[in-house]
This record gives sequence, structure tokens and C-alpha cells, in this order.
Amino acid sequence: MMFDILAQNPNLAVILAATLLPLAAFVVVLLFTRSRPKLSAGLSIGAMGGSLLCALFLLIRHPSMDVPLQYAGRWLISGKINIPVGFLLDPVSILMLFIVAAISFLVQVYSLGYMAGDPGFSRYFAFLSLFGWAMESLAVSPNLLQLYIFWEIVGLSSYLLIGFWYQKFSASQAGKKAFVMTRLGDIGFFLGILLLLFHTGRLDIATLAAASTGMSPSMTTLAILLIFGGIIGKSAQFPLMTWLPDAMEGPTPVSALLHSATMVAAGVFLFVRIFPFFSTSQSAMTVCLAVGTVSMLLSATMAMVSRDIKQVWAFSSISQLGFMIMGLGAGSRFAGMFHLTTHAGFKALLFLCSGVFIHHFGTNDIETLGRSGCRRQVIPMVCLVIAAAALSGVPPFSGFFSKESILSALAGLENPFWLVAGFLGAFLTAYYAFRLVFLLLFPPGGMDSNHEPAHRNWAMAAPLLILAFVSVVLGFFGKDLMQFLGSSGAGGALHKEAHRAWLTVIALAMPASGIVLAWFEFGRKSSDRKGFVERIPSLADFFSQRWYLDKFYAALVRRVVDGGLSALCAGNDRKVIDESIDTFSRSVIGAGRRVSMWHVGRLQQKLFVMFAVVMALVIYFGFNFG
Amino acid sequence: MIVPFSHVMILSGVVFVIGMFALLARRNLIMMLLGVEIMLNAAAIAFVGAALRWQDMEGHSIVLFIIAVAATEVSIGLAMIVRAHRRTGSVDPEIISLESKKEE
Repeated sequence: MMFDILAQNPNLAVILAATLLPLAAFVVVLLFTRSRPKLSAGLSIGAMGGSLLCALFLLIRHPSMDVPLQYAGRWLISGKINIPVGFLLDPVSILMLFIVAAISFLVQVYSLGYMAGDPGFSRYFAFLSLFGWAMESLAVSPNLLQLYIFWEIVGLSSYLLIGFWYQKFSASQAGKKAFVMTRLGDIGFFLGILLLLFHTGRLDIATLAAASTGMSPSMTTLAILLIFGGIIGKSAQFPLMTWLPDAMEGPTPVSALLHSATMVAAGVFLFVRIFPFFSTSQSAMTVCLAVGTVSMLLSATMAMVSRDIKQVWAFSSISQLGFMIMGLGAGSRFAGMFHLTTHAGFKALLFLCSGVFIHHFGTNDIETLGRSGCRRQVIPMVCLVIAAAALSGVPPFSGFFSKESILSALAGLENPFWLVAGFLGAFLTAYYAFRLVFLLLFPPGGMDSNHEPAHRNWAMAAPLLILAFVSVVLGFFGKDLMQFLGSSGAGGALHKEAHRAWLTVIALAMPASGIVLAWFEFGRKSSDRKGFVERIPSLADFFSQRWYLDKFYAALVRRVVDGGLSALCAGNDRKVIDESIDTFSRSVIGAGRRVSMWHVGRLQQKLFVMFAVVMALVIYFGFNFG
Repeated sequence: MIVPFSHVMILSGVVFVIGMFALLARRNLIMMLLGVEIMLNAAAIAFVGAALRWQDMEGHSIVLFIIAVAATEVSIGLAMIVRAHRRTGSVDPEIISLESKKEE
């Protein structure tokens, strides 16, 4: 009977296959093939490839989609509350499904080379499959509760992968930090879900998209802000951004996956998913806009002084995610989703290229990498430059188009401040991206002469080439993508892009000036390789200490959590609970001992009492009857 | 000379109180045993006085019983005190009871 249903609904069969294949790979690898790394990797990659094919099939089969497809089974029904489980297929979810499957597949292929010989090879691929499954299922979830469940599984698998080398103390610490900090935001998300459930009894994304929840405006704003808390945690926005740079402790392909298609993208994806609901509250949208702006500028300044290659890209991820949230907050769903798509491509590419260098030279330090001669590795270096150009928004590459659409969305706002901030962000992005590129290409002390020829690993090189190709051409599909996303009818309503000539000019000038500045400071032969920030030691220190956010949190945790709450709880535990039980049992023992004294000894006291009682009786009876 | 009954009862009461005092206040088992003996004698005096007062021989017979009981009591009590003194080295009832508790 089940097969009949599947035969009648090829879409359902395909989506089931797409989401269940990686899960099956995860279970099989973890249970049966752990001791056989090659087989595990093959299973995992095969499952992800199948999933990718399914996603591609859905993408091609539905070039335009007027009514979203929904398959739901009943799961939780209680009175007014009705929560189904199933799949919701609309352009956004299909696109996301495809992105996740594609990036996961490429990263898994790349990991064949990167992780070769690691003792935890099978475990690594199992976790990657789990990660892919969770993120794909998140993308096609039809209601917020199901989405939340997969949201947490995504968090779990990123915890497992960040702390993959758990023997390293810093890695397990970083995993813990990522888990706890995202959980902090998820509390808000969950409260928001409960609020929605309490007021409307439904959590369907499709009905939320229709944006008529019947809640009062202030309630709506509160619910939106609570859900946005989850986005802040997941997408590493201000003020919960500090877990992402530490997440570098994981293997580099994991970082590539984490920063592009899964984990941090989940936050922005949620925003895109329930965008119509978010856009019902103007004040909440302004908060989103502000948070995005602050995160973007803050992390861009941090990236300007970091010497760790992965950390620079991590800061840039925060910055670009902030940029997406700015675009979404400005009211353009398309701009956010477009930038999410292009960013997934070039950010994965950046990390994978850096991974080649790190794998080969065994260091994360930019200057050491440059000196060791990483520009002799032609393929990764060229790919890195392409990706950096895409990140900076240089014209033919994908980043330019998506950035411009965000900037034009910002230009549509009344307050020009956001647009200026956006331009500043674009300038800083180009500056720090090319600072890194020039430091790699023209290292300060010149290159070491001795070097072994770079052996080419095709498992690692092929994903780079594919992603580089995507980064070059993806931008030209912006219009198609807009049509694809707009066809569901929900996206276009609030879309108010302002196409102005001067906007394009400035959007071109900003990255150009950033690159030129980077060239003058780091690229020229006679330059002293010091950035303009590094000329002001206090500012450089401020930036490299990440604006003292980590210190602030550490102090906060020490004072409030350790010194306040947990001290109170420990005191309560020790002084009230333990002490009361101790006192009670001590008094019982004491009383018993005292009582036991009565049955032995104290002869004279007993005699005294006896005489006293007899006397009293004599007096009593004597006076009564005498 | 006929001793009035009330005088006999007063003597008996005073002797009884002296015995009681010895029993309650002394920290020596032998003295306490003496106190008990004195109290028994006080009771015997009261019985003798009552026999005289009501011209009845039953009081005398009971006094004989009392003397017999007192003799056995003293012999058994002294034996126990000697035994306790051997075990604990003391004739103080408190110390004896503490020591015997320790041995349990």
C-alpha cells in the first residue's frame, strides 16, 4: 500500500529518498562498517550523491511552481493543537535542498583526500552524513516544530564535527562552546515557537507564510524577535558570534560545510522560510537589520587583523551572513536567498582551498603559508583568488550580483544609514580578502627556496574546480533564480528594489578601492606589509581581541553564572538541602542516644522520680480521701 | 511509760527520710544499700508501733518477715556490689553502669 502511494507520487518518493539516503548511510556506517574506512566513505559519498541526484531531479522537474507541494502525516494532535510531519516543497526549500546536497557531496569527495589516514575516518563520514541528513530535512520541513527538531540535530552534528579531534583539548572546548552558544539562541527560538503555538495552535510554514496569524502586533513582534534569537545563535550574529571563529578547531572540510551550506546557513534559511511572517512587524525587521549591520561591520574589522587563514574566512562568514540578514531585513527575500546561494559556493571554495594549503604545509598562519610557497600550488591558488574576488564582489563573479541586489534593497530604505553601512562593509570585505590574497602571493620575507613539488590530489582538486566554475557563472543566473523564487507568489510582495545607475557605480568602486588599498599595503614590492589598522596599535589590539567580546563573556560567566547563580545553587545545595538532612539525621541519632541513656544507669535520678511520684500520689489521695 | 503512736510515726518518718536521703544522695552503692536497710527499718518501726496501738500480733510477724527480707537483700546486694567492684574498680553506680555499657 505504501508503495502504491509512492508510485503515484514520484515527488514524494524522490524527496523521501533524498532525505533518507544520508540517514541510512549514517546508521550503516556507524553500526556495521566502522572498521572499514574505504567502504564507509564509499557508502556515505554514494548516499550523498544519490541525494544530490534526487535534489537535481526535483529542481529540474519544477522550474516554476505556483502552489507548494505538501505531504503530511498526522503526528501530534491535541485539542486545538495540530502538528503534522511531512515535507513541504516550494522553490526555496528545493533550492536549499540542492545547495546542501551539492556542497555536502563536494565536501565529502574532498574529504577523501583531506582526511586520508585519519584513525576516525569512518566516524567522520558517518557524522558528515548525519549533518547532511539533518540539514536537508530541515530544508523541507513543513512546520516549525519539525524544523526545530532538525535544527537541533544540525547543532548536534556540528558539535560532533567541530570536536572531531576530541583528543585535542581546544577542539572539544570549541565544540562545547559552539553547542552552548547556539543553544542560548535556541531557547529564544523555542519560546517563540511555543508563543505561536499558544496563540494560533498551528506551526505550518505555509500558513505562516500567508502572514495572517491573528495575533496582536506586539505579540507578533515578540514572537518574531524570539525566533530571531535562534537565528542569531545559529548564524553567529552579534552578540552570539564568538563561537564561529573557535569552530575552526574542526577539520577544514567541516568548516567549509559548516560555513557555507549547513549550520550557519540554517539561520538565514529560517529567516527566508518564514519571511512573510517576519515582514509583518516593521520594528522587528528594523532590529534584524541593525543586528545584521552590527555583525557585518564588527566581524569585518576582526578579519582585518587576524593572521589565521581559517579565522579570516570565519569572520568573513559572520560578516556575509550579517549582510544577508541586512538584505532580508531590508525587505528583499530574493536578495538574501541569492546571496545565501552564491555565498555557499564561494565560501566553501575558500575553505577548501585553504584546506589544501593547511593540509600541505601544516600551519594556519598566513605569512608562514605565503613564505612556504603556496602560490606554487596553481589550482588552489587560482581558485582562492576567484573565490576571494567573488567574496569581495568583483564584477564577473557571483558575489557581485548578489551583493548588488542586497545593496539595492538597502537603497530602497528611507534611512540612508543602512546603505552607507552596506558600502562600508563591501569596502572592508574586499580589503581583508585581498590582504590575505596578497600576503599569500607576495609573502613579506620572500619565499623559502627549498620546496618539494606539490603532488596533485584529484579528490581534492576536482571539487575546487567545480566550485570555482560555479562561482564564476552563478551570478548570471540571478534573474532565473528570481523568477524561480518569485513564482511561489510569496516572495515578490515586498520586493522593492531600486535600480539606480549610481548604485552600481559605487558598488563597483567600493571593492575596487578596497583591493587597491590592500595592494598598496600588502601587494606592492616596497610596501611594509602593515595594514592601516596595524599602524594604530590600540585599535589593532582591540580588533584582534575580537572587541573583547570573548573576555566580556568570560567575565560575565565568571561573575554571574559561576559567582552568582551557581554559587547560590551550590550554597543552597550545601547549606539548605544537605545541611537540613544532616541536621535531621544527627538529631535523630542524638535523640536515640539520649533515650538509650535512660534504660541504663541514672539509678538515683530514677529513684528520685519514683519517690517523688509516690509522694505526690500519697498527697493526692491523702487530701482527697483524708 | 507509754510512747504515743504519733511519736512512733514521726520517728519512723524521720528514719525513712534519712534512709531515702542516703539512697538518693550518696554516690556509693554500699551507702545506698545502707539507705535501703534504714528505710526497711523505718517501715518495721511503723509496723511495731501500729501493732502496739491496735493490740494486734500481725504487725510483729510482718516485722520478722521484713528482717528476713532485709538480711537476704543485704547478702545478695553486697555480693553484687563486690562483683561490680571487681569488674569496674568502682562502687559508684554511674561509673558501673557506664562501664557495663561499654562492655556490651
